[in-house]
Amino acid sequence: MPSSTVGQTPSLSTYLKSLKHNDIETSIELFISLLKRRQIRNSRSCAIATISLLLRVVGEVRTRDAQQLIERIRAVGRRLVAAQPREMAVGNIVRRVLENIREVAERDQDPAESDGSITTPSTPPVPGETKQRPALRTKFSEFSPLHGAATLPQDMNARAPLSASSGDSSPAIAGMAETALQRPPLMSSNTSFAPQGPAGSSLFSILQHPQGRSPFATPPAGAQSPALRALPAKGDEGPTSEKLDIKAEVITAIQDLQRELEEVDDEISEFAQDHIHNNEIILTHTSSQTVQSFLMKAASKKRKFTVFHTEAYPNNHLETHDTIVNGSGGGSAEDADERWKPLTSMGITVILIPDSAVFALMSRINKVILAPHTVLANGSLIAAAGSSTIAQAAKTHRVPVVVLSGVFKLSPVYPFDTDELIEYGDPGKVVPFQEGEFMDKVDVVNPVYDFVDAELIDLYITNLGGHAPSYLYRIVADHYRVEDIDLSGGKGEAGGAVKAG
Amino acid sequence: MSEPAKAPEPTKPAEEAKISPAELKKRAKAEKQARRAAQKGDQGDAEAPPAPFTNGVPEEQQAQKQSGPQDSKPKGGQTKSQQQQKQGKPGAQEGKHERRGSQAQPLAMRPKVVQTAPPKEEARKNSKQVELFSHLYTQPRRHDISGATKDVHPAIVALGFQMSSYEICGSSARCVALLVAFKEVIQAYTTPSATSLARNLTSHYLSPQIDFLKSCRPISESMGNAIRWLKKLIAEIDPSTPEQEAKDYLCDEIDRFIRERITVTDQAIASLASGLIKNGSVILTYAKSSIVEKTILQAYANGTRFRVIVVDSRPLFEGKSLATSLMRSGLEVEYLPFSGITHAVKSATLVLLGAHSMLSNGRLQSRVGTAALAMQAHKADIPVIVCCESVKFSGKVALDSIVLNEVAPPEELLPPRVAPSQPPTTDRKDEGDDEESKVKTLHDWQDIAGLQILNLMYDVTPAEYIRMVICEYGNVPPSSVPVVHRLANESM
Repeated sequence: MPSSTVGQTPSLSTYLKSLKHNDIETSIELFISLLKRRQIRNSRSCAIATISLLLRVVGEVRTRDAQQLIERIRAVGRRLVAAQPREMAVGNIVRRVLENIREVAERDQDPAESDGSITTPSTPPVPGETKQRPALRTKFSEFSPLHGAATLPQDMNARAPLSASSGDSSPAIAGMAETALQRPPLMSSNTSFAPQGPAGSSLFSILQHPQGRSPFATPPAGAQSPALRALPAKGDEGPTSEKLDIKAEVITAIQDLQRELEEVDDEISEFAQDHIHNNEIILTHTSSQTVQSFLMKAASKKRKFTVFHTEAYPNNHLETHDTIVNGSGGGSAEDADERWKPLTSMGITVILIPDSAVFALMSRINKVILAPHTVLANGSLIAAAGSSTIAQAAKTHRVPVVVLSGVFKLSPVYPFDTDELIEYGDPGKVVPFQEGEFMDKVDVVNPVYDFVDAELIDLYITNLGGHAPSYLYRIVADHYRVEDIDLSGGKGEAGGAVKAG
Repeated sequence: MSEPAKAPEPTKPAEEAKISPAELKKRAKAEKQARRAAQKGDQGDAEAPPAPFTNGVPEEQQAQKQSGPQDSKPKGGQTKSQQQQKQGKPGAQEGKHERRGSQAQPLAMRPKVVQTAPPKEEARKNSKQVELFSHLYTQPRRHDISGATKDVHPAIVALGFQMSSYEICGSSARCVALLVAFKEVIQAYTTPSATSLARNLTSHYLSPQIDFLKSCRPISESMGNAIRWLKKLIAEIDPSTPEQEAKDYLCDEIDRFIRERITVTDQAIASLASGLIKNGSVILTYAKSSIVEKTILQAYANGTRFRVIVVDSRPLFEGKSLATSLMRSGLEVEYLPFSGITHAVKSATLVLLGAHSMLSNGRLQSRVGTAALAMQAHKADIPVIVCCESVKFSGKVALDSIVLNEVAPPEELLPPRVAPSQPPTTDRKDEGDDEESKVKTLHDWQDIAGLQILNLMYDVTPAEYIRMVICEYGNVPPSSVPVVHRLANESM
């Protein structure tokens, strides 16, 4: 371990520095411990750390084979996600990287393609493999959205090749990929739009003997037409020069993703002018950088508005105060660009209010702007505690709620059990532990997040533009592959297993 | 946002550093002048400061405005002059023309090069009040005795400070404390020779006491009802009654009032409401209401086994004291900050709320945050019950929380000051406006243009969220509030 990180509190910046000189396993372990100890906290930091780590992982992978690369990333991703399942940004980034790899691999395979081996690298694990799985007991129920994200208990895998993750239709895909090959691809190669594949071939899976849970339990059965294009998987064919490109192209794609992460605030702010006008009164919550830069952009276009800022006690109030007074404070960045100035310096009136005053003031608010921790596949949010009250109050008063989030926060997980997704934080922040008698006899609870239902949200603004909550499943489909939604499981002889069943 | 207020703002941070020493001197001089002027026109000669408009006077006004309410120690700030200056501001609700005229003068004077500091101070001062609530900023809270008339009884002085420091907090408690203090005041009263007790006591003796209390903290609805009752009682005293007998009669009546309308009523409400608590209930309550506390303890004493969730909020943390007292009685208590409301309503079966007052359109005025809790409970189909004595019922109506409210000093919202590593004042003088080198905290909010802090005390919960109101007349729906009010408070 390099000595430079020893003296400092571990955090995102120390981790990124240490990535340069640690070997891969150490880096992974370091990241896992940061996640477990909650020394690396919000979505953006976790996303940045994950992507830097994965960049190194890809850089070090020796194989030329896309399938093995995918397996490697999946293995790493599995460990990271199991370390802190509620930090869904980690899983999101892993899945994005996997999607990039698959896309690159397909692009390479395109000329030599369309039949190839069907086997989707999809998830249903071979029973024999499960015995080597670490005995990580998750407490997540079968219906938990986090269930598939963590390591599966062994008994689950002893059942049919179906994995118990929410929101995946991978076994069906496996079956469909089989059957789909017998049919000419109906769709054009346009990946973003209505998938014909699963819809068209679903009848076959109905006729097949259903195994385990129905794969269509969830709305976003957003398999794309790439399901029709079988994955190149074990392509050992092809000249080695093409394989060399895969790794380089994957690295380029990952760097694009990194750049997207850095620019997400700027891209979202581009839409500020359309949504914020003069003499509006806006309510916002917590110290989100995205919201601050959004409002700064509007202010820089000479819009004069008022901002009521709730302080998000007890988990975020100090950062909120800091953001209001000093601009995007915090420690990490050293560059002094626009967004460091506080909103008040642009002539905007900012009024700090305690969280309890939201209902009282909501009748005068024109718009509510929230930033989430995670966005779920059906358009609902996990956001900082207090957001649910704000959104409900806004709904009561018919005030539009706008949510700003980068696509990296969008998770393909469907919230079956919303309680599982809420993290509980340090009760010492509510009542200091010095008050021994109180802490002893009274149950102090400090939820860090709130679940906000999709019905309460009017608009999402992502770096791709503005969308209604009902459209988000589409974006999920564009950015993630169905087979990656569940990161567990080994290599699939999936197609064969399903067919045999 | 007032235009003139905005114009000096952007340039202010730059100039602020340079002019602050000179500004401080000017301010000190102005305060001395103001002190002298106010001592002359002490008791009602309120016109003195605004009338002569010379260069010096607006400066002193504005300097006073700046120093008075924001630092909670009025350095020579007198209530009367402060009051006028407050009313002289653009957002004033009293349309007294000379006051508006007085405001116009400084505006006209601004183009004169003479002082840049005072208009800036005034503009800054203006901008620290949230415009939405400008009608509630009539009077800064007093924190010491300076400027109080000599008629104020020491018991009232003590009471005033106890109320403004939240030692005595809560509608019922303040009402009882007021009446107890009034008993002492009445006993200390002697009728002047030319008049009778009935005519003199209220207007010349009790009124200054009430004004003093109002200057410490706006009086609650229960206090208002009690005062109205007392005034009516005094007016009905037969002039021929000997003074001591009249005073004793008044004190006895006050005792009876407290007993009947608060003490016994509380017991009645507690036993009614505790019947609603069943075994296995999970009671959810917000902040601290004395009547809800009594209800819960009564139910516990009756042998019911249940659990309580207390939700609390800044800055008063009243819920903590409720949780502590319930915990000491042996109840199972869960304590959550306000952000945990969604968690709280997941497991609650009944919501019990106290009230500051019940409004005639069926709405509940209570501690800020109650409305959000009631809304969440309503959405989760949990019954919301309000326990409220009839002395808190009001004839007023309100459609939102802006009309009737109380704005507390913003300083109460500041987090406890951590020992600063570098004192902020020196930084401000060194640099220009290089924000990154200064580490400002929220305690510097006064100096940051455009930053305001709003500390509301009450909010209004819509009637549809309230299932039932329990008062001494029984269980009534919120729509019956005006009827009960008429019965109880207007036809005594």
